[in-house]
This record gives sequence, C-alpha cells and structure tokens, in this order.
Amino acid sequence: MSEKAYEIGRLLRAGISGFVAGTRVLVQDAPRFGALVRAPLGEADSIYGIIHEINIDDDGLVRQLVTTEGVDASVIADQRVNRNVPMEMSVLAVGYRRADQPPRHLLPPRAPLSLDLIYQCDDEEIVTFTNVGRFGYLRHLLHNPDLPVSELIAAHIQQADAAHRAAGDPTWARRAAEELILLLRDDYPVLMQVLGALSDAIPEFEVAP
Amino acid sequence: MTEEIQSRKSIGYVVGGGLKENLSVRLDVPAEDVQEGAFVVIGSPRDEWLFHGLITDIRLNASDPRFAGDKSDLRLPAHLAGLFYGRTLFTDLEVLPTLMTEQGPPPESPDYKAWQAAIDAGLRDQPRPLPIKTIPAHHSPVSLAGEQDIALIFGKPDAPNHFVIGTTREQGHPVAIDLRKFVQRSSGVFGATGTGKSFLTRLLLAGLIHHDVASILVLDMHNEYGFDDTASDTGEQVTGLKTKFSAKVRVVGLGAGATIRGRTPDFNLEIAMRDIQPEDIELLTRELNLKETTPTTLEALAATFGRQNWFQEFKSMKSGGVIEGEDGKKVPAPDSVAAWANAHGVNVMAAEGLHSKLRRVFSKDYIVAEPASDAVAEIIKALEAGQNVVLSFGKHEADLDYLLVSNLLTRRIRSAWEARTNAYRSSGKDEPRPLVIAVEEAHKLLNRENAAQTTFSTIARELRKYYVTLLIIDQRPSQIYDEVMSQLGTRISGWLGDDDDLRAVLSGLAGRDALRGMLARLQPKEEVLLLGWGVPMPLPVRSRRYDENFWKELAGGTVKGKRSEKEIKEDLGLV
Repeated sequence: MSEKAYEIGRLLRAGISGFVAGTRVLVQDAPRFGALVRAPLGEADSIYGIIHEINIDDDGLVRQLVTTEGVDASVIADQRVNRNVPMEMSVLAVGYRRADQPPRHLLPPRAPLSLDLIYQCDDEEIVTFTNVGRFGYLRHLLHNPDLPVSELIAAHIQQADAAHRAAGDPTWARRAAEELILLLRDDYPVLMQVLGALSDAIPEFEVAP
Repeated sequence: MTEEIQSRKSIGYVVGGGLKENLSVRLDVPAEDVQEGAFVVIGSPRDEWLFHGLITDIRLNASDPRFAGDKSDLRLPAHLAGLFYGRTLFTDLEVLPTLMTEQGPPPESPDYKAWQAAIDAGLRDQPRPLPIKTIPAHHSPVSLAGEQDIALIFGKPDAPNHFVIGTTREQGHPVAIDLRKFVQRSSGVFGATGTGKSFLTRLLLAGLIHHDVASILVLDMHNEYGFDDTASDTGEQVTGLKTKFSAKVRVVGLGAGATIRGRTPDFNLEIAMRDIQPEDIELLTRELNLKETTPTTLEALAATFGRQNWFQEFKSMKSGGVIEGEDGKKVPAPDSVAAWANAHGVNVMAAEGLHSKLRRVFSKDYIVAEPASDAVAEIIKALEAGQNVVLSFGKHEADLDYLLVSNLLTRRIRSAWEARTNAYRSSGKDEPRPLVIAVEEAHKLLNRENAAQTTFSTIARELRKYYVTLLIIDQRPSQIYDEVMSQLGTRISGWLGDDDDLRAVLSGLAGRDALRGMLARLQPKEEVLLLGWGVPMPLPVRSRRYDENFWKELAGGTVKGKRSEKEIKEDLGLV
C-alpha cells in the first residue's frame, strides 16, 4: 500500500533535537509511532523526524466523564473531535534537507517555528530519506537513552520496509538490520532487544535476487 | 599485473599483528574456504609492497563473548540470527608473513614511469621476493595466492631446472622447486611410515634424472627404486627408475650373481676385503654389540697387518685353537687369535670376543678377497659420466649389510669427488659433476652415536664443497644427529606424529612454532610441507602422484594444476 504525504498537525514547541506537534485529527490514518514526518524549515528546506511518542492528555471534563455511567456516544465523539487539549506527537529530529539537495542525516541547523504544518512523509520521501548514505540517521535513535529504542526502531523499519517494498526493493530491511548489528555489536543487551522487536515486526527477509 | 591481482580470491583484511606475533586477518568468506597452510597475498595493486604469507591458525572470535555463548537461533528467527555471522561472530586468521615484493608506485601515478625506467636502466634491482622486513597496513586486503603468485615465489613450472613437486591444497596451483638449488645442499624427505616417502623420493629422483642436474647414487636398502615394484598398500604396480630411464640408470646388485626381484642387475658389487677399514667396523658397534675395547683391538690389527690386510688376516685366524708347548703346557695355536693377541700385547679375551662377533661380517658372501671386477670403480665411473646408480641390496637387507656397504662405498666415492674437486681447483680441470647420494633409513647411519664416524655426516657438514650432497629419507628425523639436521637445505616432510620428530624437522627454521601444528595436521598421505633454505618460504602442498600421468607430464614438460571450470566445460563442449 503506497502512502501519500498529508498534514498531521501543527507544531507546538521545538528544539534542534526534536519537536512536538499537536493535532485534533482522529482518523484511522492518524500519525503512527515510528513514522517519518517532515516539518518546514523556512520556505524551501525541511526537517525530518521520527515520531517516538504520542500523548493524549486529560482535562477536567474527561475526568468527569470517565466516572459517569451511560455517557452518550455523541458526547464522547464531541469530546474527541472538539476537545480543547490536542493529541501531542513527540518527534525526534533525524535529518534535514536543503532545497534541491539530497537529505542529510544530521541535526537541522535551526528549529521549525510554532504552528508550522507537520506532514507525514509519503513512500517516495521515506525511500529517498532512508536510502541516503549508510543509515546514518539510526544513530539519533540509538543514542537517546530516553527513547524506547527497540520498539521505535522496529516500528520505523516496519513502515520504511513497506515503502521500500512498494518501490520494488525488498532487501532494505535486511540491510538495515545488518547495519543495526554493526552499530550495536558492542552492546549485547540493546542489540538483542532491538532484534527481538524486529523479529516481531519483520517476519522474514528477502535477499537481493 | 592488475589483472593478475584481480584474479586472486579475496578472503579478508588485516586487522592487527606484527612481525613477532604474526598478522591477524579478519575473514570475510566462510571459514571452510580457507585452510591452515594456505599461501596468501596481502596488499592491493596500489600498495608499494606486496606481502606473502602462510595461514598458521584459524580462530573463531566474537565482538562480545555472549554472542558466541548464546545460541542465537533459539532466541531469534533464522533470518536475523544468520546476520550475526561476519558482524558479531567472525573468523580470524593468523598469518605468518614470510616474503615481500616491491610493486612500486601505483601504475597510473607519475612516479611509476620513473620507477620502471630506473629498473629497465639497471639503476634499481628488478623487484623480487625479499625476506619480510615490515608489515602491511591495517585493512590491507588479503587474498589466496593465485597461480602467478606461486610462480613469482617458487618459479614457473616450465622454468629451466624447475620441477613441480605438487600443487597448492586449496586451488591446485603447481608448486615447483629449483633442482639446481635443491642439490646445492643436503636435503631430507621425512614422514611417518605409510605417508608416501618412497613415492615422493621416486618423484624427486625422476625429476633430478630428467633435468640432469646431478648424478644420483641411490642406496636402495629395500630394492624399491631400480626395477618395477608393487606398492605395499595398494598392490598397484610402481614403475622403477630403470624402466623409464633405461640408458641413464644402472642398477647394481650386492654380491656375485645377485638378482633383484628376479631381474638381473647391470652389474654386481663385491667388496674387497682390503677395502674394509677399522672405522667401518667401529660403525657397527651397536649392530654387533661390540665392546669398548674394540677400537684398541682394531688399531692393533691395523698396526700389525696394515690397513689393507688386517681384515683378511683376522678372518683367517682361528678362535680358541691350542697346541701343546715345549714344556707340555697348552698354548694358543700359532694361527689363533689368542696367539696374535699375546704376541702384540692385546687382551686375549677382547680379541677373541671381537673375532667372534665379526663372524657375521666374515660370513658375508659379498666380501671377497679378490672381487671379479672393481665394481666400486665402475660405479664411480658411471656417476662421473652423468649416469645414475641404484645400489639394490637384494637379499642383503639387514642393517649390518646396509651400514657396512653404504659407508664403505660412500667413502670411496667421496674420495674420488674430493680428488676431482681438488684437481679442478688447483689445475682448472673439468668441474666435478654434482652428486646426490640418496640414503634410506638415514637414522641408522646418521644417529648421534654413529654420525661422527660415517662419511655421511662429513658430506652433510661440507655442504657442496666437494660437489656431493645427501638426500636423506627417514621416518624418525629425531634420531638423526642434530648437527646433520641443521645442515639440511631443503626439507620435505609428510605427516609426523611424534613431538621429537616434529621438533627435529623444524630445527633451525624461523616460525617453527607456527609450522609445528601445520606439520602435525597434514593429511597422512599425499600432503607434504616444503621447508628450509631450498624453498623461498614454507608451504604445504598436495604432492604429485607417481603414476602414468606423472611420466606423461614429465615427458611433455607440462604440469597442470587443478583444472578450471572453464577448461572442464571446454572439454565437454559446453562453451
């Protein structure tokens, strides 16, 4: 299934190493954990990031409703669609792109601005971004102790693999796994966790013909 | 050159090591693609030096011991567990660097032309393999040597006086030895019983005869080399040297009327009693269980009768004969051993004891007062004329016969060569022809006890001074005197199991600790390790088979290694 880029929210707060976006969207294609997203950086440049956390905070009305019996479906839908507190997505910056240049797996030179529109990348962007260099962006994920590294990597590779397969390259996931092993070979516990998660995400590799 | 290098099979890259502890190489092909003893080349076409070495160890390593300790395929699916190999689990090689060859600047660089021009103009030496003096850089590529590498180091198989002894074990490239160099120093063929020493010796002798680099005298204790034989293990017919080199090889039988495997030799060897010297008897001390008094008694005999007559006179004496003296007392008979001993102040018991023990020698039918012909002179004449002689001991296969005749014959031959050498050096007469004496069961003649008394140890020590060298063939090299072993130029060894034998074969060689395991793990048959001064670097090879193909190849002058897939397909008409 080929995915297209679409808006998933607006920027709430940002830094060089990541940003948080908010949305009220609540549809089936809602932003997913591990997805590659893009934020504008000025007029022509972009920042790329991977969603590593999705939060839905409560408010006073929700607190009341959860203890109320027989809440009407329309009230629930109203609370979800028209709620005051947005759903928050935490994004880890993993690269950026200057106009007409290939993406780079480096932290962006500056942060995006408040209320910038955030897009979930389409398959073409995913393939382009993940094919640059030798998986350099993985280091941003691996060296952040606050992240659920194994789950995040597994979720990201699963989604990126689907994009690569749709583009005719079924071998990308295997190459990514090989690179992960090289990057983590001196950290046995983390590598085994990552590969354990990956084995659930990717049941089988295909090798190059 | 670049094409040649590209034809090599890359197997890994250098990750560490040094000259003393050897080089560490990370393997990037399956471990089963390489074997201990493989000849490897280190460096790329762009490197100034190309290094040559030998795999001496193969080790399994892991970036973390837990990767090796935990069976990952129990925790992970196969497609992930399999990715550990080459990344967290890997194979390292230990490579013994032996030689290095200058390649000059990269061919496309401006310096290359100047470098090549200097060589062409004779201002620089032509690049050639040199003993290792430095080491390659980190991550230098490592490849299995190609045919051109073997030829660079060991010489091209079709080069003059080069003889293919076998092929490399992995890729079947022919490995040649320089026979002229081979005969410059004494050499040895070793291996436990049943490892094919005799076949290997036949190969070498055939090569030496074919290339005509030296005359050869084979002391053929077990009658294996002259006429056709039957292999003891396979029962197959084994071609004798006489069969293939009828005009170049003369077979000599020991004793009048001797036949060898039912065939009549070219002539027979009888030993004249006058040729037997006291030293020849002293050599038999262990064999005859002679006493410490023997040298004194022999000295007295030689003093009494002369060095040419003592044996015949002693043999004719009677042991234990007595007569009645003028005073009525019994005294030794005049022709008795005791009478001679008394007359010359020799201990009677010692003299009688020696006489008794020498009966085994006295009874030898090939020792005669007057031989029908001077066969020893005939042997020397044949050898000087460029022929080769196989002395078959026929029915006289006892150690006593072998020790006595071999030493006596060799002494006379060496004297002849010494005289010719001195004549050549003093008056510029013809240079003596190199002579190789092949000695089976060499430890019987060259053991610690006898070595000092035999002509063989003198020859081994003299190297090529008098143009005579030894080819010693033995299964117990540890029994051979150290001083002789240390003088051996080329050593060709099959499998050896005994620690002392391993140590003896490797004595005096660099990297012997690394080579020791290699020698111990050779295949019991048809694999040998080439070692020593006569070969540029140690190398295990699969020895050639001594069969009809060998003779065809020798006649045709070509030797093929393992045939390529392309050649096989061409033969089958598939390409």
